[in-house]
Amino acid sequence: MKVYVNDREVTIVPGMTVKHALIAAGLVHEIEKGKRVYDKYGNEIGLGGALTEGSKMYVR
Amino acid sequence: MLSTKIWTLLLSSFFIILCISPVYSQQQEIRILHVNDFHGFAVEYRPYGSSEMQGGLAYLAWKIDKLRSEKPSLLLAAGDMIQGNNWANLFQGKSVIEAMNVMGFDAMVVGNHEFDYGQDVVRERIAEANFPVLGANVTGVSELKQYIIKELEGVRIAVIGVVTDEVPVTTHPRNVVGLEFLPPADRVQKIVWDLRNRCDIIVVLSHLGFTGDMELAKKVNGIDLIVGGHSHTKLEKPVFVGTTTIVQAYEHGKALGVVEITVEDRQIAGITSFIEPIHPDPKVMNKTVAAIVDNYQKKVDARMNETVGVAEVDLDGKNVRLGETNLGNLLADIMRGASGADTAIINGGGIRTSINKGPVKVNDVYSVVPFDNYIVAIKLSGKQIQETLEHGVSGFEEEEGRFPQVSGLIFTYDHKSPKGSRIKEVLIAGQPLVLEKDYTVATNDFLAAGGDGYKAFGDALKSSKDYSVMGGTIKAEKLVYNDSGRWLRDVIIDYIKDQKTISPKIEGRIREGK
Repeated sequence: MKVYVNDREVTIVPGMTVKHALIAAGLVHEIEKGKRVYDKYGNEIGLGGALTEGSKMYVR
Repeated sequence: MLSTKIWTLLLSSFFIILCISPVYSQQQEIRILHVNDFHGFAVEYRPYGSSEMQGGLAYLAWKIDKLRSEKPSLLLAAGDMIQGNNWANLFQGKSVIEAMNVMGFDAMVVGNHEFDYGQDVVRERIAEANFPVLGANVTGVSELKQYIIKELEGVRIAVIGVVTDEVPVTTHPRNVVGLEFLPPADRVQKIVWDLRNRCDIIVVLSHLGFTGDMELAKKVNGIDLIVGGHSHTKLEKPVFVGTTTIVQAYEHGKALGVVEITVEDRQIAGITSFIEPIHPDPKVMNKTVAAIVDNYQKKVDARMNETVGVAEVDLDGKNVRLGETNLGNLLADIMRGASGADTAIINGGGIRTSINKGPVKVNDVYSVVPFDNYIVAIKLSGKQIQETLEHGVSGFEEEEGRFPQVSGLIFTYDHKSPKGSRIKEVLIAGQPLVLEKDYTVATNDFLAAGGDGYKAFGDALKSSKDYSVMGGTIKAEKLVYNDSGRWLRDVIIDYIKDQKTISPKIEGRIREGK
């Protein structure tokens, strides 16, 4: 399943979550520093949030 | 004259009463309270990256009580309530249902993770619930209701429940054998047509995720409100798609969703929503729920001290970043066995401590693998396995956590050779690795997602044909096992319980040589 983190494409196993996408993008440690994850509409999403093919998220 | 005055007074009074009467104005204020993706987080906690404690079921319950006392309300749960945290997992969700009964939930929809303990447990939890559990697009679980109709202040409210049709992707196939998860929009449309003339407000209680909710709102006419879950989205304000309002309240009981609805002449005249954050504050907690939380937490603590088996040797979790260890072998063997894969490759850094010879307690296993990891198995080519092992030993000098522990294979490496050409020989089932051949490799979800710099699993998935769900199981060329509903540590505990005694050895799976 392809999803996008900060506009970068990453591939994860179907059923994996926001946390896995951040691992794939090498950005999970940014959350420890206090950054948060938002969907393409600007809504905050939790690390356990479900993803679908083509989901886009942004860490900021 | 006096009679005329009395009649005038009586008539005036009648009209005044008529004007202020709710029967005349037909306006009602009602409230819908909602949570989603609670995942058993009954005890307040400090989320990753946060500096403050959040959530706590007793505080959430107090807030619900307060808001419900102010106006007629419904309390809804949008799925994934009973699986995730130990507080729920150790009791297969029974603890959560007990608390929800006390909190007076009006309805809940099943989420994908409600199926993680198997169908028998789903049925047990539904039987224990004092509230209806919904799943209009699920076939094979007759205990699930398609919808309910509740009446608040004379306003008839239908609540239809639907869950993502990708449930089989997110749980082990054995949990959904014989079940079907139908496309939600078709089911909802049929029910809305049936209910529209019998109800004033139609609510869909959804576990589809925010994107799925928006698609549903676009496809189906006649839904007034979608109360969502699954994507753990924190919708601070309502989202409107046509005449449908969409709300969702984050995750883990860290927020309570509140929808305010004004009804006039049996139609929605106004609707708004907001999120009420939940923080621990002993002054504002529901003591009955607090007692349930404490009671089960004590059981969790006691469970941590339970002995699950006996280690006949010391289990080495200290040297897992330097070479083969018996604990690394044990865990890799368990993962390979559980998934039926040809081999297993895990990161030594995922093994956090050792276990001394003697009785093994639950807490010992939780300390060795404290992370919420689960088993995944993916087909890799021999070339990708070789690259994976090269990557694993490339951080040997720095004692990086990516050093591999393995099962079903033997490899020889020379740590003095340049990085990228250290692997000298790989044997699988006693035979030399064939670079062009595919092998199934079990690992944890962290490595499968590319953690510790492991890229081969992601590369393999990229080359996989599109996955699909057929007859309750995942069909994908490269993905052969995926059990996100069962933590690795629980698989290990079950294995040790089954074996009663364990005595893993160093067998020469990882050899230094030239």
